[in-house]
Amino acid sequence: MTGADQEPAVRCRGLTKHYGSGNERVDALRGVDLDVRSGELLMLVGPSGCGKTTLISIITTILDQDDGSCEVLGRDVGRMTEAERTRFRGESVGFVFQAFNLLPALTALENVSVPLLVSGVAREVAEQRARSVLEEVGLGARADVLPRKLSGGQQQRVAIGRALVHDPKLVVCDEPTSNLDAKTGHEMMDILRGVARASDRALIVVTHDNRTFDYADRMARMEDGRIVEVSEGGRQGAQS
Amino acid sequence: MFRIALKMLAADRAKFVGLLFGIAFTSFLVTFAASYFCGFMTNGFALISENGATDVWVMDPAVQSVEQTINMSASALDRVRSVEGVSRAVPLALGNADVRFANGQFQTFQVIGVDDASLAGAPVVPGRNPDELRARDAVIVDAGGTSGKLETPALARDQWPHDGAHLDAPTRELRGGDELLVNEHLVRVLGQSSTVPRYPPRPLLYTTLSNALRILPVEPHTLTFVMARTVAGASPREVARRIEQRTGLRARSTADFKSDTVRWFLVNSEDVGDIAAMLTLAMTMGFGVTGVMLYMFTYEHQSQYAVLKALGTPSGTLTAMVLAQAAMCALLGTGMGLGLCGIAGEVVVRLGFPFRMMWFTPLAGLLGVVLVSVAAALISVRPVVKLQPAVVFAGR
Ligand SMILES: Nc1ncnc2c1ncn2[C@@H]1O[C@H](COP(=O)(O)OP(=O)(O)O)[C@@H](O)[C@H]1O
Ligand SMILES: [Mg+2]
Repeated sequence: MTGADQEPAVRCRGLTKHYGSGNERVDALRGVDLDVRSGELLMLVGPSGCGKTTLISIITTILDQDDGSCEVLGRDVGRMTEAERTRFRGESVGFVFQAFNLLPALTALENVSVPLLVSGVAREVAEQRARSVLEEVGLGARADVLPRKLSGGQQQRVAIGRALVHDPKLVVCDEPTSNLDAKTGHEMMDILRGVARASDRALIVVTHDNRTFDYADRMARMEDGRIVEVSEGGRQGAQS
Repeated sequence: MFRIALKMLAADRAKFVGLLFGIAFTSFLVTFAASYFCGFMTNGFALISENGATDVWVMDPAVQSVEQTINMSASALDRVRSVEGVSRAVPLALGNADVRFANGQFQTFQVIGVDDASLAGAPVVPGRNPDELRARDAVIVDAGGTSGKLETPALARDQWPHDGAHLDAPTRELRGGDELLVNEHLVRVLGQSSTVPRYPPRPLLYTTLSNALRILPVEPHTLTFVMARTVAGASPREVARRIEQRTGLRARSTADFKSDTVRWFLVNSEDVGDIAAMLTLAMTMGFGVTGVMLYMFTYEHQSQYAVLKALGTPSGTLTAMVLAQAAMCALLGTGMGLGLCGIAGEVVVRLGFPFRMMWFTPLAGLLGVVLVSVAAALISVRPVVKLQPAVVFAGR
């Protein structure tokens, strides 16, 4: 496994973030310290509203932090311009959302191609690559189907394909199984697990679905805007 | 990414079709309205158009249009003829007369007196020799855009009866050989011409200037316009300016006089003003609806743009995508609208309404729709560009 001495893929120190002001003010992050290593699946758990989504939004350059530092894949997120952030997301980050967020007008194949098209890859090349990724997530046969014709599990497979097609070094999943049934959830976690093991990729999976805890290399528990506990191997009897 | 934009557009079929119809309707409305207005105005300056050989119109300095005129002294003709650059100048007299038909009914006609020598400005009557107009008391009548107003009794016993008017006698259309009474002068109809319809519509009575002077009430001045031709190669505007300097009269090139007349109608005719206001309203409405619909389309696809943005699509690309959608709608919709307008125009013209699709009307319609669409797209793209992609993390 990856050594702890290696430069982490994500390193957050003293991150704070608030929403609103005055009476409406919510301190979503109150000083978060977190490292995520390449090659590991870090599970971020905690009660609803504790700031998990806010944290991964900052890590993926979707949101600005108020204070503190956040280095992702060797870059200081807080110092990037808007254009650099957009580019960074397109090149280095893969997303899996709770609501899948597939584009309804595009087929599974086209949805998976989007990150490549965004980076200017020619359509034929992008779709060829997307097809092989769809095979990997077990949806090769349904490549030309529109999302609304797919089951929830199938849609989430497409979403995982989309998160991986451009071979990003960081993949972030926000509650990927909470809209799925238990069996499909496990299938999904199996795929994601394999994704992290296969390469020097860092995976952050936000979840409060305790059925999936087994898949974690490490678990970070959040409460009220802080990381309160990081434990090695939520995964009992990890085989490796 | 353009492909994706167009797919997004086509996928939302109901809204796409709605948008297309909205834009088609708008461009139809705009082009149709503008063409209708052009039609009106073309009829408004019909007298100028039908004297196509005229390069410069000379009139009393106070006259602003071909519609409202006052006469100048007859000497103006010679003064214009003596101006350098004028190769030929002929008089034209306009007047109004209440004309009585043989059954006792009457109608107000515009009397148009043309140059006796050249007959310049007289219309053609099929089957008649133009020279016949020179005969004493010969006139040519023209419906001038009216219908059913040139009627004379069908039966000889109802013509000029001695026992009073036969107002309810059966009638037929005026034709060659019929007689009319103009200010107690009996005139003879050579036939009916069919020149450009007038706006406002009115029956016309063409005759020679000398006949006109005879049948119109005596006035101190008898010359309404001098229609001048310039020598070959001279600029009508230049010659017009020279005529104004030499004679103190007002002189306008044909094109300028047409625009003067349009402007005069816009300012002075309440009907035309009303039409223009209605058209403006229709256009504003159409453009407003188009803009709002396009805006809503983009607005409702915000969450999809947010996903694209989260996945690393630059703002410039998102803007280009929204513009591509707007341009696609605008072009397709306008195409449909203009096609529809062409067909409707054909029908309307056949029904006898003034409708003139000039080259610039569809172009203006297209330009207007594209401008509005692009503006709406740019406005609606603002929230997309400013969008916090954070919404993509929302649960459902
Ligand atoms: N855009 C926002 N505006 C205001 N408050 C927000 C916004 N997003 C999140 N919050 C608040 O910040 C806190 C943390 O939210 P979030 O990061 O979504 O938590 P989690 O993902 O752990 O449920 C919550 O109290 C939430 O209500
Ligand atoms: Mg959340």
